[in-house]
Amino acid sequence: MNFTLHIWRQENATAEGHFETYKVSDISPDCSFLEMLDILNEQLINDKIAHPVCFDNDCREGICGMCGLYINGRPHGNDDGITTCQLHMRKFHDGDEIWIEPWRAKAFPIIRDLVVDRSAFDKIIQAGGYISVTTGGVPDANTIPVPKRFADMAMDAAECIGCGACVAACKNASAMLFVGAKVAHLAMLPQGHVEAQERVKKMVCRMDELGFGSCTNTYACEAECPKQIKRQNIARMNREWIKQLFAGNHKPAE
Amino acid sequence: MNNEKILKLSSITKKLLLALFGTFLLVFLLFHMVANLFILADDGGDAYSAFCHFMGTNMFVKVAELVLLGCFILHIGLAGYLWFCNRGKRPVRYHQPSRTKTAKGSKLAMISGSLLLVLLIFHFYDFYFVKLNVVKGGHYMVKTEEFVLSNPDQEVSEEAQIVVMKAIQDQKVSSDGQSLRDLSLEDKEILQQNFPDAEFEPDFYNTAHDKFSVWHIVLCYLVFFFVVGLHIRHGFESAFQTFGLNHYKYSRLIQILGIIYCWIVCLGFAVVPLTVFIKSLIA
Repeated sequence: MNFTLHIWRQENATAEGHFETYKVSDISPDCSFLEMLDILNEQLINDKIAHPVCFDNDCREGICGMCGLYINGRPHGNDDGITTCQLHMRKFHDGDEIWIEPWRAKAFPIIRDLVVDRSAFDKIIQAGGYISVTTGGVPDANTIPVPKRFADMAMDAAECIGCGACVAACKNASAMLFVGAKVAHLAMLPQGHVEAQERVKKMVCRMDELGFGSCTNTYACEAECPKQIKRQNIARMNREWIKQLFAGNHKPAE
Repeated sequence: MNNEKILKLSSITKKLLLALFGTFLLVFLLFHMVANLFILADDGGDAYSAFCHFMGTNMFVKVAELVLLGCFILHIGLAGYLWFCNRGKRPVRYHQPSRTKTAKGSKLAMISGSLLLVLLIFHFYDFYFVKLNVVKGGHYMVKTEEFVLSNPDQEVSEEAQIVVMKAIQDQKVSSDGQSLRDLSLEDKEILQQNFPDAEFEPDFYNTAHDKFSVWHIVLCYLVFFFVVGLHIRHGFESAFQTFGLNHYKYSRLIQILGIIYCWIVCLGFAVVPLTVFIKSLIA
């Protein structure tokens, strides 16, 4: 298969970026999208055409959340429930033009080419995405008082790999699905439940500070999430937020 | 974290307030739609005029009207503020247009909302501003006993007598014989000079009949209702989501209710101008 690639090239965070056009040929349909980029980079290095295209990747099996490219108008490309590394070239037609852009958001500044700085997500987690109450040693799984369906819902929310596709897809660059998933999966388990109100307050305030937009319920995040995190998690976060607005009467920490 | 941060209104609190005011407007819309159906009653406007008189004079209604007006202003203001806050969250836009499947009603909410605001101003110009007496209307009504009593001794000018006689001749008296209706602006002004204490009210039954017998006004209103539909299609479901009432158990139910509500309100609104227009064509 042959493709024409339009790739966003940007020297560094402050430099002005532009699209560069490259051609790749004889790509196997079984090649993954990132492998196709590897082939391109090999070409660029061997032929000394340009600096190889920088892009984030790690596990290449859809569980680490490192990769993330905006391909032809969709985060992670034109398929549902996958990360960029799980996108295969057979999803394209021979001779296609492919536009590859980095995540675009004020909170995700570009580091180089297609690599963006997603440490804003880490900062949100640092603000409250943890449990600080003591829970003792590791208990037997069947001694934790949590109903199966709650455990399942918490697990579904905890699937979030923090890739940032929700922010990339949202027209307001909002991180509500990410924060919703983090707030929800902890709030549903007994260990996390006790700090749920404090947590949602801290995490949402931090999210606002970091320059993410606010949600307008278009559910683009849900449509593009590689782990198919549901909008119900955002609703749960809103619920926790309302609870802390009215019932958050804890004594402030000293 | 302290109270200061909460007072600064987090993104969620802003949304909550927006949804809260929007919910009031949703309820009002249903009420407005049902009230409009009185226009279709084949009683020459008795029911609708009585209803308008109640709405124009009742104390509680006046308070509710203020609350409602506040909801409108705050809903629009907050939406504008949220839009303003969301600007610049993506400084460099994508080159490729988004191909993500999204809820279209929500994506277009800001556009449909802005369009609604413009159409609403025209709608207010037609009806609400007339009620507030900011704009002069085309049709007025007045309680007859009121204006006879208000000026029993004074001589009434010939002009006014002609107006009253003509109104009675043209059967512009309500069926209970207590009020004169469908008075033109000139007639109203003549009567007002003679009976300064009489309280004239806009006659919306005849105003509506007047407006809705012109095809392009009917068309404009149908467009208006379509945009209303588009906006509440987003609003109904979104309000539940924002209040945190979206749950695996009943999210489908909320979706269906939203669609039903949307159709009921839109069709309920549309049926009035359409019926009046068709009636005027037949007549």
